[in-house]
Amino acid sequence: MKRIWMSIGLILFALTLLPVSSAMAADKVIDGNLRVVIGSKSTGGDTYQNSAIVADALAKKLDINVKVDAVGASAAFQALDRAGVRGNTIMIFHDQAYLGYLYGKKGYFDIFDKYIVGPTVAINPGNAYLVPKSSPYQTIEDIINACGKGTKVRVAIQPGGVSEIGYTALKNAISLKYPGKEGNLVAVNTGSQSAKNQLLFDGQADLINGSVQANEQYTRLPADDQKAMRFVWLTARSATIQQAPAAGLGQTTRDQLLQFVEPNAKVPFDANSYFTFDKEFYFLFNKGLDPKVIAAIDEALTEIYTEGKIQETQKKSFFIPNFKPSVEAAAYLKGKMEMNKKIISSMQ
Amino acid sequence: MEYFADLSFTFFMLIPVGVIIGIIFGAIPGMTATMAVAVCLPLTYSLNLNQGLALLLGLYVGGISGGLVPAILLNIPGTPSSITTTFDGYPMTQKGEGEKALKIGIVSSLFGGLLSAAILAFFAPLLADFAIKFSYIEKFLIIFLALTVIASLSKNLLAGIFSGVLGVYISLIGTYDISFGGNGDIRLMPEFLEYWLADGFSLLPVLIGLFGLATIMEEAEKGIREEDLSSKMVLGSSIKFSFSVFKGQVINLFRSGIIGTFVGMLPGVGGSAASVLSYTQAKNFSKKPEKMGKGAPEGVIASESANNGLTGGALIPLLSLGIPGDSTTAVLIGAFTLQGIQVGPLFIGENMGTWHTMVLAVVIANFAMFLVMFFAIKYIAKVITVPKYILFPIIIMMCVVGAYAINYGVMFDVWTLLIFGIFGYLAQKIGIEVAPFIIGFILGKSAEIYFVKSLESFGTLTIFFTKSPIAMFLWVLIVVSVGYSIYSTIKNRRQDKFDGHG
Amino acid sequence: MDNGISSLFKVKINFAESHTFFPTIVFWVLLILLLLIFIFNGRPYLRSLRNGERKLSLSLAHVDKLRLPGTLVLTVAYFLLMDYVGTFFPNQGLGFLFVSIPFIFLLSLLYVHRIDRRKILAMSLNALIAPSVAWYVLAQLFNITLP
Repeated sequence: MKRIWMSIGLILFALTLLPVSSAMAADKVIDGNLRVVIGSKSTGGDTYQNSAIVADALAKKLDINVKVDAVGASAAFQALDRAGVRGNTIMIFHDQAYLGYLYGKKGYFDIFDKYIVGPTVAINPGNAYLVPKSSPYQTIEDIINACGKGTKVRVAIQPGGVSEIGYTALKNAISLKYPGKEGNLVAVNTGSQSAKNQLLFDGQADLINGSVQANEQYTRLPADDQKAMRFVWLTARSATIQQAPAAGLGQTTRDQLLQFVEPNAKVPFDANSYFTFDKEFYFLFNKGLDPKVIAAIDEALTEIYTEGKIQETQKKSFFIPNFKPSVEAAAYLKGKMEMNKKIISSMQ
Repeated sequence: MEYFADLSFTFFMLIPVGVIIGIIFGAIPGMTATMAVAVCLPLTYSLNLNQGLALLLGLYVGGISGGLVPAILLNIPGTPSSITTTFDGYPMTQKGEGEKALKIGIVSSLFGGLLSAAILAFFAPLLADFAIKFSYIEKFLIIFLALTVIASLSKNLLAGIFSGVLGVYISLIGTYDISFGGNGDIRLMPEFLEYWLADGFSLLPVLIGLFGLATIMEEAEKGIREEDLSSKMVLGSSIKFSFSVFKGQVINLFRSGIIGTFVGMLPGVGGSAASVLSYTQAKNFSKKPEKMGKGAPEGVIASESANNGLTGGALIPLLSLGIPGDSTTAVLIGAFTLQGIQVGPLFIGENMGTWHTMVLAVVIANFAMFLVMFFAIKYIAKVITVPKYILFPIIIMMCVVGAYAINYGVMFDVWTLLIFGIFGYLAQKIGIEVAPFIIGFILGKSAEIYFVKSLESFGTLTIFFTKSPIAMFLWVLIVVSVGYSIYSTIKNRRQDKFDGHG
Repeated sequence: MDNGISSLFKVKINFAESHTFFPTIVFWVLLILLLLIFIFNGRPYLRSLRNGERKLSLSLAHVDKLRLPGTLVLTVAYFLLMDYVGTFFPNQGLGFLFVSIPFIFLLSLLYVHRIDRRKILAMSLNALIAPSVAWYVLAQLFNITLP
């Protein structure tokens, strides 16, 4: 029995030590470990990679443990609701966070209402649309015109978010030039990149959503290969791609990529402008989070980006650095959401 | 061999290090190879590409192999793909042949791993072109074929099929996931549960709940008697392992390894389908199918060589299409991107050195896995001599860790563990069969996606028969598999009647 | 005629409703199976019950009244407390560590037969060492998130 009491005593002793050690760390704005939950379940995807880069830099700057957890959108929002007030749990996600809401998907809310939108950190410039190399469509305009003349064009996308927004924009472009013909652009709803590629190989889709990173090598296959593809449109802004390394990605240079970006690839948004879409990564905080913590993160990120090392790391993984502090980022993203809301609500 | 000139001592050291960590992850119920690779990915930041790959591939091979240890010794699959290992592995342990079963498993794993590495090395680009011939329709048929195993695994045919279909049904609870092409709507639950169940039940917590927690509750019902497995063990050690077990199993080894490699190479079909399929085939071709499930070495052989066959298989689409064959290789893509290397159809041609290094690393990792496990077995097998009052609490704790960590920190997954622990405990009492249930649960979601998406595209059921020669061939396999299990049920019933009245 | 047959196999799926398509099919299959089970297994069983060939045994005599409910209670308490205690030490995995130690000890205490000093010592050591090692390796070394 003595030993039981001894072990219980040991535990109690350990317990009393803990508040002491955390009190010692109280001069830091964030005490304990920082957990970054992300809206993706994949630890191989762009959200995880980008978040890991940022988390690593933050950990060094703030001298705390930072851990990125790929829990997926709904679990991430829940974790933020539940544990986000203390500032030990924050979230990093991309435009999907509000696009899911605009497309009316379950588990998404108006993030500007429910959370605090924090700093943006990077852009993934790779969102792309591709056709088979043997396709009759040479440019994205050909596709818009074909739909206008009554040809059905099938686009493989993942519904309800970043992958669908380009499709919605194309529909909008068709309706601008050929009112009432936008129904000729048909979505083939599917999931992963491999499923989208597969639909193209099988002739079940004429156009697919993909990315520069995942599909660049397919564009370099010989034309007689069943798998060969061709870019027709990158949704990124011209200014974004211009910041990419000159060597581009793989063997496709930046100049080649610029061929597929506005104003070379024309997808009108309205009478005066082209539609563009940059997939941007940003922080989300619990509404009740102490502004001091947000300020601390803003400050830390400002220092990190001034030092300039993180930009190199990001560019090496084909991300475009894009730091905006909280207030600026929130206003900017709000505007972006309103813009996308226009075409989504008119095309549904 | 100029490709290997720049390989360092570190490279050769990192492989076994990876393998050992991988085995530990694989051996803990609920921890998987994917998690091992994801957790160690940051360690590769400081390594060069070859060294990073050495570590990660070691983890991959080790993680897949480690699952056989708890499957055989404790009847808890360490990873989803080792479910079928429990079917014969655990009965062997109960007979006091645990050590023998482990050795059979390890040898089979080595064989499956090497076979798939060889297939990877020589046929990768060719097979990748073959793999893209499998559209949703063919993938649905493969899943369907794997589901037919339910019939041959059932003790009572009707109850077994019911359990399997119930598994499918329960797997559908939650969101029709947009990342697989669903419409993102929630189904099969009242609204007040949506907060908890939006993501449905995760596979691993369900698995370890059904196998781990349920077993402990069963034992608790009986009062945790310490029956002396350990004395059996001493007796059992006279049952010497020798390679003669593999006599007559060469075809089984090859067939299972090839099935594993092949299924691994089809993105989205899922690793667990590989061992399930190869287990069925082993049963269908077996001379004594009635022994399968009661401690037949050939069951362990089929399951383990298939599940290590996965490793090489899943690397094929990754390296020759840029598409991961399973969740672990999906994490590997991250490792490549970090090093500024793209994977895709031109990867092998443009990165000959890396390609050769990877094949070499897989081969070394398999040997390292074999050596580590073979010499550790004597000690690992002692686990069952640990008294239950010490062992069970640790098992529950590790199950909790695994359940919580599988989705990177979701408390509901821990509750899932309990829910399915209780479900598993009660289910057996009313005749629901756990093995068919879990197979239905594992395959249910993919079956849905492939079935519904095929119909969405083609709009007619006939497409499943007429799509391609591959589809027709798969139908032949399905008919044979179903026909065989009906035949053997009837045969068994006659046998029973004969025994009963004769 | 040909058209008649092929139209029989025609299926049109509305994407917005597609989330209920497959579950509905599975649901009906389940019902049919249940019916079949009743016909082939249930009725003979009921008949044998009525004839008195078999008795419905609902006796709980063989159930260990302490260990089975004890396991359940301890496990539920374990899950609840671990989550609760964990909120005081955000993201450090300490909720897991601090609650696992007493849980393992109590569960061992519940399961053990013929308790003696040696067993108590083994149980206490196990309760202290196992969670500590798990916590140190996973939460500290590998940075895995624990409650």
